[in-house]
Amino acid sequence: MLSDEAFRDLVEAVGEENATREPAMLDSYAWQPFLNMSGELWVRRPGAVVLPASTGEVQAVVRACNRHRLTFKALSTGWGAHNGPTREDVVVLDLRRMNRILEIDEKNMFAVVQPYVCGGELQAEAWKLGLNTHIVGAGPHCSPLAGATSMHGCGNDSIHMSTSSRNLLGVEWVLPDGEVLRVGSPGSGAGWFCGDGPGPSLRGIIRGTSGAFGGFGVFTAAALKLYHWPGPAVIEGKGLILDSTCALPDCCRLYQCAFPSEKACDDAVYRIGEAEIGYLFVRMVASEFLLLLLPHLFQKLVGKGRKLLELINRALPHPFMITLVADTPEELAWQERVLRDITDSLGGVALNMGDVEAVRRLMGSNLLRCTVFATVFRNGNLFATNLDGNEATDSQYAWTHAMQGPKEEYIRRGGLLDDGGENPYIVQYENNLYGHCETIYFYDHRRPEHLETLEELAFDTTLAAIEQCNVPLAAFEPVTRKLMSPLACRFNEWQKRISAAFDPAGVSDTGYYTDERDPDWERIPAHKVERLRRLQERFGS
Amino acid sequence: MALEDYREDMAACVRCSSCKWVPFNQMRSARFSHNCPSIDRYNFHCYSGSGRMNMGLSMLEGRSRLNERVSEVIYACQLCGACDLACKTYREVIELTEVLLELRADCVERGEMPLEHMAAIDALKRENNMLGEPRAERGAWAEGLGLKDVNRERAEVIIHAGCRYSYDRELWPALRGAVRLLQKAGVDLGVAHAEEGCCGGRAYELGYRGEALNFAEDLASRVKASGASVLLTACSDGFAAFRWLYPRMGVRLDARPLHLVQMLDELVRQGRIRLSRRLDLVATWHDPCHLGRMGEPWMPEWPGDKRQRLRCWTRTGRRGVYEEPRRLLRSVPGLKLREMERIREWSWCCGAGGGVIDAFPDFAGWTARERLEEALATGAEALVTACPWCERLFRDTAREHRLDLRIHDLSEVILASSGEEVEGLC
Repeated sequence: MLSDEAFRDLVEAVGEENATREPAMLDSYAWQPFLNMSGELWVRRPGAVVLPASTGEVQAVVRACNRHRLTFKALSTGWGAHNGPTREDVVVLDLRRMNRILEIDEKNMFAVVQPYVCGGELQAEAWKLGLNTHIVGAGPHCSPLAGATSMHGCGNDSIHMSTSSRNLLGVEWVLPDGEVLRVGSPGSGAGWFCGDGPGPSLRGIIRGTSGAFGGFGVFTAAALKLYHWPGPAVIEGKGLILDSTCALPDCCRLYQCAFPSEKACDDAVYRIGEAEIGYLFVRMVASEFLLLLLPHLFQKLVGKGRKLLELINRALPHPFMITLVADTPEELAWQERVLRDITDSLGGVALNMGDVEAVRRLMGSNLLRCTVFATVFRNGNLFATNLDGNEATDSQYAWTHAMQGPKEEYIRRGGLLDDGGENPYIVQYENNLYGHCETIYFYDHRRPEHLETLEELAFDTTLAAIEQCNVPLAAFEPVTRKLMSPLACRFNEWQKRISAAFDPAGVSDTGYYTDERDPDWERIPAHKVERLRRLQERFGS
Repeated sequence: MALEDYREDMAACVRCSSCKWVPFNQMRSARFSHNCPSIDRYNFHCYSGSGRMNMGLSMLEGRSRLNERVSEVIYACQLCGACDLACKTYREVIELTEVLLELRADCVERGEMPLEHMAAIDALKRENNMLGEPRAERGAWAEGLGLKDVNRERAEVIIHAGCRYSYDRELWPALRGAVRLLQKAGVDLGVAHAEEGCCGGRAYELGYRGEALNFAEDLASRVKASGASVLLTACSDGFAAFRWLYPRMGVRLDARPLHLVQMLDELVRQGRIRLSRRLDLVATWHDPCHLGRMGEPWMPEWPGDKRQRLRCWTRTGRRGVYEEPRRLLRSVPGLKLREMERIREWSWCCGAGGGVIDAFPDFAGWTARERLEEALATGAEALVTACPWCERLFRDTAREHRLDLRIHDLSEVILASSGEEVEGLC
């Protein structure tokens, strides 16, 4: 239990109304089923939660934590177990009161935001200026600042707007000792336009590939790149998601493409990258849309076997969905011609889905604002993902196939819901040279038989990743990190040194940043442990 | 039902926080992107729909206990249903509003409820109304209107004025004017005068289910005895109670519940009320929660398990009353309707609901102020609505903050356009 003296200091920092240590209130920060691969539903209850409203208040809280040797962790919306505390009596900084868009620099195409601005809000404001912002695949309710400073962050717009990490410019960072560091051009009082210099860039330190998941000080403001948007300021229409009538604007075209082989599909993706067309892009098989939009029907179908679903997918093999966006009808026509040339030359097809009114309406702002993917909860209530590393486009199919093995095993055992086969979520970036692939596992965390599966499933997918020479992004998870670390130059030991240099008192909660945790070895079958041992012998350091 | 019955609903929450924003397809600005007054005012996650469910589950699992502070969190909520709607845009298995109601019933059962609500319920039991006003004066609003007394004679339509309209004299002209309009249109109207009681809806929201049931049964038996075929109310709270709560409690109404807005719309469309006078007015429409998303007809409990639920078996707000008031306003010559950003199913609450006006008046005023700012942002001169609770709070808040915005009941606008003199409109 947090001492009265420490709590008094926190109250002094943020005001009485903005600090609590009431157990029931704290538990609303401890319920974290999502991405909780330990098979638990609650994470550790914080010792206190505070609501700072400014950088100064964040500093005051962090300094109080340093004085009292209290671990702290900051979060924005706080979705997922990685946002939860991993130690006793952690002080959680809920940054909800820091929710303003500080500036949109229209000319230089960037926005400066506080941590609790969500992607949907920033996009709504950017659209009014003919600009757009990257929204992560997780959805528009996520914080773009959190994505850019502390996580990886791909989305279906990554083909045009890249990943969250690429969009980070200037940053205001409250270090773990309470000092404020302005990274990049704001550090020289030169505005927010650049994230580097003077001197060596600190962006790699701040976030590296996948970020510190809130375990490395507090990011209180960040400048994010914005992109051109030739569409309307508002997409008019009624309805919410499934009944949406917010149709795709005239400057957009939505195509569903399919190819005779994986190779042809990959080649098309590369050539689309070379041609620099495409505003939104996602590889999902046809049955996945059925699963998202009509989960009840999907479960009935899959309950009778997979044949029908396989037939549906065979009708559109090796597919992707691409949205083209252009300033003029002529440019749009040119992009369409390029796309058709590419698909034709590879023996594929490009179906204009805008010709189907229902699809045009449903996919309008649902795609552009990335709302449609939230329907993923409708199938089984929750899903897990292997959160693949980000690899060459060619490797995405191989990765998908590798991940399918363990998944099928758990579906057979009744530990996961049957989702009808391979259901990857793949997006592209870096001119389509790279892709991000997630294999989705559907389950219901309210069912014990599903919950029991998770830790072993994480073990299995990590093994499969190593065997593929891939690095799963899920390495942020302490158990996965324990398995991965010896095979990847003990990367987290380096991270620990970096962390220690900035956090001499060790008060940032590094649980999801650098820590390791043993899995429940007794529950892991011996042959899998042996597989890991062999890999460690072969590649370990 | 008990909190335990909603364990699966609470456990289904994955803490995504979508319940804090308007549905994203309809988000038009950062300024008006939030949907929940409670989390917006108090900021801790436990003040959101998700957070309250997390707390409920925590208590159910014995991890934490209900106390005065927790009760305060549970009650600092208008029960406006915005979180439920936002959640339901892509989830079907969580009946969020039901959980919030159940938490309150649990508070009452354990004796952890706000003192202000205890006082209101005492007044309700004593005087048959939520305001503690003398029951004998309940019918005073209708004096001189020549309405039939349904205690003695039969009428086709029985008017339920509701607690607020019955005692709030500043609001009487709107209701009395509406009655005159209906009478002119030939509607056969009656009222129970002092015998009319509270609908019980607010008591239910406060967690006092026994009292709510008593009042509902009393009202239903009076309606049955009257022989009326339509139960008409101008109170949105009452409308939601008749349409949703009564069937939920198993109380059968032998008359079709209608809101005044629906009847006015029908009469205008039939040409029985003619809107001929031009009103040069820029107005915006506020959807009362209980007329809109909370005013849906009741649907029975989903017969299946809670692993997956068909969308048509969930409360999504879609079947609330949204088109009728807008159609009426658009029928008024000269009137320009300027919509706010948060409308229809994703409308922002006025602030009065769920007992907040009684227990947390500052929070109620804060919520209303936010809505009035949104109305002003449209360039409107007037905010029009059709709920006496919304109207009262809006009027008080606009006065307190000296906002340049008039508040009108929709029936006043219709009355003025039909040729009658209405203060501030003609």
